[in-house]
Amino acid sequence: MSDHQEQVAVKEKPAEGFVPKIVAFTCNFCAYAAADLAGSTRTEYPVNIKLIRVPCTGRVDVVHLLKAFEHGADGVYVAGCLEGNCHFAEGNYWAKRRVRYAKKILDEIGVGSRRLEMFNLSAAMFGRFVEVANIMNDRITEMGPSPLNKK
Amino acid sequence: MIVAEQKPMEEIAEMIKDFNKILILGCGGCVSVCLSGGEKEVGIMASALKMFVKNNQNRDIEIKEMTISRQCDWEYFDMVKDAMAEVEACVCIGCGAGVQGLVDVYPNVPIFPGLNTGGLAVGKVPGVWEERCAGCGNCILHLTGGLCPIARCSKHILNGPCGGSEKGMCEVDPKTIECVWHLIYERLKSIGKLDNIYKIMPMKDWSTSSDGGVRHLTREDMAKLDAEEEHKKNVELEKKAEEAEAAAKSQG
Amino acid sequence: MSDNAKGNGKVGSVLVVGGGIAGLEAALSLADAGYLTTIVTKDASVGGRMAQLDKTFPTNDCSTCMLSPRMVAVGGHPNIDIMVLSNLTKLEGGPGNFNAHVHKKATYVDFDKCTGCEECTKKCPTKPLNIPNEFNEGINTRRAISLMFPQAVPKKCFIDPNYCRQLQGKKCGVCEKVCKAGAINYNDTDKDITLNVGAVILAPGYKITDPKLLGEYGYGRNPNVVTSLEFERLLSASGPYAGHVQRPSDNAEPKKIAFIQCVGSRNERIGRGYCSSVCCMYATKQAIVGAEHVRGLDVTIFYKDLRAFGKGFDRYWENARDNYGVKYKRSMISAIKEDPANNNCVIRYIEDGKYKEEQFDMTVLSCGLEPSPEAVELAKTAGVEVNKYNFCKGEEYSPVETSRPGVFVCGAFESPKDIPESVVQSTGAAGKVMSLLGDTRWTLTRKKEYPPEIDTSGQEPRIGVFVCHCGLNIASVIDVEKVRDEAKKIDGVVYADNLLFTCSQDSQDGIKKIVKENQLNRVVIAACSPRTHEPLFREMLRDTGINPYLFEMANIRDQDSWVHGKRPKEATVKAIELMRMAVAKSKKLEMLHKSTLKIVKRALVLGGGVSGMSTALNLADQGFEVVLVEQSDHLGGETLNLRTTLDGGDIREVVKQKIAAVNSNNNITVHFNSKIVDINGGIGHFKSIIQDAAGNKTEVMHATVTIATGAVEYQPKDGEYGFGGDGVLTVRSLEQQVADGQLDPKSLKDLVFIQCVGSRNDEHKYCSRVCCTATVKNAIHLKEKNPDLNIYVMYRDIRTYGMREDYYRKAREMGVIFVRFDKEQPPVVAQSGGRLAVTVFDQTMGREFEFPADRVALASGVVARDNAIDVSRGFKLTLNTDGFFQEAHVKLQPIDFASEGEYLCGTAHSPMSVDEAISQSYAAAAHAGSILGRDELESDACVAVVNEELCAGCVTCVRVCPYGIPKMKNVGMGIAEISPVECHGCGTCVGQCPAKAIELCGFKDIQLGAMIEELFTFEPDPA
Repeated sequence: MSDHQEQVAVKEKPAEGFVPKIVAFTCNFCAYAAADLAGSTRTEYPVNIKLIRVPCTGRVDVVHLLKAFEHGADGVYVAGCLEGNCHFAEGNYWAKRRVRYAKKILDEIGVGSRRLEMFNLSAAMFGRFVEVANIMNDRITEMGPSPLNKK
Repeated sequence: MIVAEQKPMEEIAEMIKDFNKILILGCGGCVSVCLSGGEKEVGIMASALKMFVKNNQNRDIEIKEMTISRQCDWEYFDMVKDAMAEVEACVCIGCGAGVQGLVDVYPNVPIFPGLNTGGLAVGKVPGVWEERCAGCGNCILHLTGGLCPIARCSKHILNGPCGGSEKGMCEVDPKTIECVWHLIYERLKSIGKLDNIYKIMPMKDWSTSSDGGVRHLTREDMAKLDAEEEHKKNVELEKKAEEAEAAAKSQG
Repeated sequence: MSDNAKGNGKVGSVLVVGGGIAGLEAALSLADAGYLTTIVTKDASVGGRMAQLDKTFPTNDCSTCMLSPRMVAVGGHPNIDIMVLSNLTKLEGGPGNFNAHVHKKATYVDFDKCTGCEECTKKCPTKPLNIPNEFNEGINTRRAISLMFPQAVPKKCFIDPNYCRQLQGKKCGVCEKVCKAGAINYNDTDKDITLNVGAVILAPGYKITDPKLLGEYGYGRNPNVVTSLEFERLLSASGPYAGHVQRPSDNAEPKKIAFIQCVGSRNERIGRGYCSSVCCMYATKQAIVGAEHVRGLDVTIFYKDLRAFGKGFDRYWENARDNYGVKYKRSMISAIKEDPANNNCVIRYIEDGKYKEEQFDMTVLSCGLEPSPEAVELAKTAGVEVNKYNFCKGEEYSPVETSRPGVFVCGAFESPKDIPESVVQSTGAAGKVMSLLGDTRWTLTRKKEYPPEIDTSGQEPRIGVFVCHCGLNIASVIDVEKVRDEAKKIDGVVYADNLLFTCSQDSQDGIKKIVKENQLNRVVIAACSPRTHEPLFREMLRDTGINPYLFEMANIRDQDSWVHGKRPKEATVKAIELMRMAVAKSKKLEMLHKSTLKIVKRALVLGGGVSGMSTALNLADQGFEVVLVEQSDHLGGETLNLRTTLDGGDIREVVKQKIAAVNSNNNITVHFNSKIVDINGGIGHFKSIIQDAAGNKTEVMHATVTIATGAVEYQPKDGEYGFGGDGVLTVRSLEQQVADGQLDPKSLKDLVFIQCVGSRNDEHKYCSRVCCTATVKNAIHLKEKNPDLNIYVMYRDIRTYGMREDYYRKAREMGVIFVRFDKEQPPVVAQSGGRLAVTVFDQTMGREFEFPADRVALASGVVARDNAIDVSRGFKLTLNTDGFFQEAHVKLQPIDFASEGEYLCGTAHSPMSVDEAISQSYAAAAHAGSILGRDELESDACVAVVNEELCAGCVTCVRVCPYGIPKMKNVGMGIAEISPVECHGCGTCVGQCPAKAIELCGFKDIQLGAMIEELFTFEPDPA
């Protein structure tokens, strides 16, 4: 194990205040594997990010994304293989389209499309995994709680 | 198939603003196939509508989600009678016919349309449907090489193309709309029927389309008619048979 | 030739030496085909060089993403044993029955107990020793006890006795103290083991050539001169700098990088006269990846010939040049100087005939490939011959066969090659082993007996939750007792406990007992990653009679304690949430079963050329019935048009032998003048209609299809380089005329060859791979027959890769003149006074020359067959833009199509030489054989299932499936049908089905929905 790998920076979040609830749908072969590698290399990311494993992001349905918000998510993201490198050929492209469709609905219902995002990364890119977790955490923290959670 | 697309959430939310218990009813037929009103869309709409109402009307609503195989016969509508009894209103995401079919069966439940029904279309590429039939009730496809100017010409003209046809495209939007009369010309040429295009087509009998009230499609061996209607049909049939017999005799 | 394997004292097991991608692929093919396989590797893990790579050319696929699943498959395969830190010491016996003596070094860690938790590697006090981490090419350090790399298989730590304080006799014992699994054993000793095997495959791989042999490049003195493998680790996201490119002297991000090609290749002076085949492409890849990491990175590649001869390679480097601004400069670099002021590399080169000097922040040496000393030793031990460069000698037209029968070779030890070629060759070696060992398959494999399954369907959930400490890995951060207590509160959980290591043998025995005693019907384990441990626990559940799919994991180590070590309270809350999500899903789980399909024991091969015949013969030797369909009235294909081998033999002899073997083989039926007019079904049960010229139709059932339809020679157009005029002919015609006695070389005075005719142009944007070698071959043979003949070769890049480079050198030594022209200024051929004149602008000399010629030979390329399109439509296969068949995956599945049971070999895949086509044919036979060798196919249980009552017949699934598996049944409005045996289990159709008529077993809506709902509705106790 590398001693240098701990160098990957992680932003410290203030402990007090709003901590968003974020769920990530991750594919078994890339994003979930990258998250495991972040573990192997002890690279920290926000504790409030929780992963749901799917065989391929092609399995992720618009309904899942909406249900997450309906049940109280402040942010949701889907993380699949790099484009062109999907373990199942093109599942990540379908996921991308569905995320786009769900974003449209989120704007329409006033939750806001920026609370949902699609990312692509390879199994080796644990640094990117952590970066993505931070991007979403920063973004949602700044946006504040989902309007559904305020009421 | 009949195609349709979902109405904006805002519009639907406005329809149901006085109700707290709602049924969203999908259809397993055409609108499933064109991905706008099947079981999956019922789930999406239910979730989105709940959130919209919570966010914009500041209230929680209860939504039941159901889909029936088809929304064009009362036997299917009957399957949701228990659910209808429980709810205050229903958003129907079948075609416009489905909405009205429900209205017939459930006179006491407000039924709202969740879709804008588009017409009769075929899938062009996966996910895109294009209207092919306007259901005018007086088909002329045999004269136009199988391509319909009623459904596909911007002006619905019967003797085209007009002066707005350029390089095969329609002047209404030369980038996206093909001139169907240009296509008809090419098609007639390829099947050796180009002389059709020189024939002047008479004014269309629109009575078959919408004149005389609502249009019905009746298949007589299936439809149960009332006694008077039944009698009328029988008389017509007999008369026709007699005429045919007489004609045959005069020839023989 | 035919290896009839009916007993004869043959043994159904195989030894594979080497754990790189070649060894792994060979082992997987063999184990799947029913042979007990042992991998012996000198390293502490399988994976080899590919594990060190960041990306791979020409697709820039992530190496880890592709390799990891293969490694996990090998690690979990019941019929593959892995012996790490081991080497072959003696090999006795002969084909079918060898005794292999293996020396296994002590690991000082009991692998049965080690859980790979790596606690020891953090606490080992040898950090100050700065032990170079070999996996990262010594760029960073490791400890005396270490895990080779995070994805290692087996995932076990081991002690390096050279650095271990305890083993060096000093006081320490730290790892023994911290290891909660009690796996450390300082008294471990080396062991000698004898394996009885039927065949041996050598796949020891390569090392890169030591650049210190070329002192002029300053490697070792100038810190900013690195090897290509070091640079690869610098680029890697999981490398020493996590993918941040830094130069060694000052850790600054380099803005300008030079690559120097042929470092230790094509260099007789240091005894490496061969071409290493892969460096031009890997330098291109590293340039592209580097440019993606460092914005605006300026890359120059200094090269001699750009050898982009593989499928898609020319497009790849042209893309690097055009879209990434990579500069390719053709110049030999004699030295790299160091600017003492800034440690920059100063490189002097020739451009436009003038010397130029340029500074670079960093230089990457594209080092060649060579056999490691261990590999050379292995060759001696195994008793196989090597060539003058120490590569293992393969048979000329069956390169996987060594000089010792029963011992096969594959991968870079045979000759330098890239990953797909290694995969092809290793699978080909497996194919040869299968034909040797034939029906000894399944004689030594292990079949586990399980208790009868208990039907728990309809029962209320009775869930057992087990929380793992993973030694201290989890327990030092997360309050595991609290997680356990929280589990006990959940409805449906009837048992909860916490265990030191849930994966250890004693824990598993304990869990099995608990499952039985408490009549549990669901098990949830909160521990590490399901990616590595789910199969183990499912197996455990199966041992209790509970359906193995009534199992769920919560990843509270890799995705919790390991990343939130600084926030134990929050990590504990997260662990409770993850555990609750897993329990919520488990309540909705159902019993799942694999479905099976009986296999028709027959193979179909399309194409009767060398490739098709080789596949058919190999399968027939394996003991299977083969139907061979040939469109013409004879066997032999295009190879019959060739005449000579590289060394001057008659290549038609190779073809004739194969034809005779096919004709005399009772397992093979040939249909001449025939084609397939209809094909239905899928893997294991295809049904094809073969139609002959008379229109007679034959229906045949078969389990597999191999496409070996070949390719043809490009026919130059009239007037193209004077073609059609007197004296202008193709190289192949020249070869034929000389061999058939129609043309006497002595009658010629001047001869011009023109390369890249019908290749690398706007019409055919690819390299035909074989033409340079064909020209060099013919030039040598003509020079031998008439030493006074003047031969001029007009070329763009000479692409004599691998050992073929020796022939290129020989041709030059014999006096053949090579003249380089540019694509934009091609040679012009004119008739002139009864002779020919070729005018060309020589790029090297920078001026125009005119050459007289008696003959002009056009090196005509290889083009796809016109009817490939019909075949592709009939079989629903894809062609690439060049008209060749598109394999399932460029890197790891070069012989497979996306749809299972269909394979590809020979020039139908891409242009290739006869020996390469034969290797690929054996590989196709190996994959077909691993299907045919079984009685039935087993599906995965986690597949898409259609609820027919809900299906609207909308064909959405048919359209979205990446593999074309859903089909419409002509029932009612049409109902989708998904064959469970063929479904890949991605769930793409499930996510798109408008009627929600398709569900993915194990990931149903109701199951995922339960997790989502649980995560957001459960309010954890903030304390």
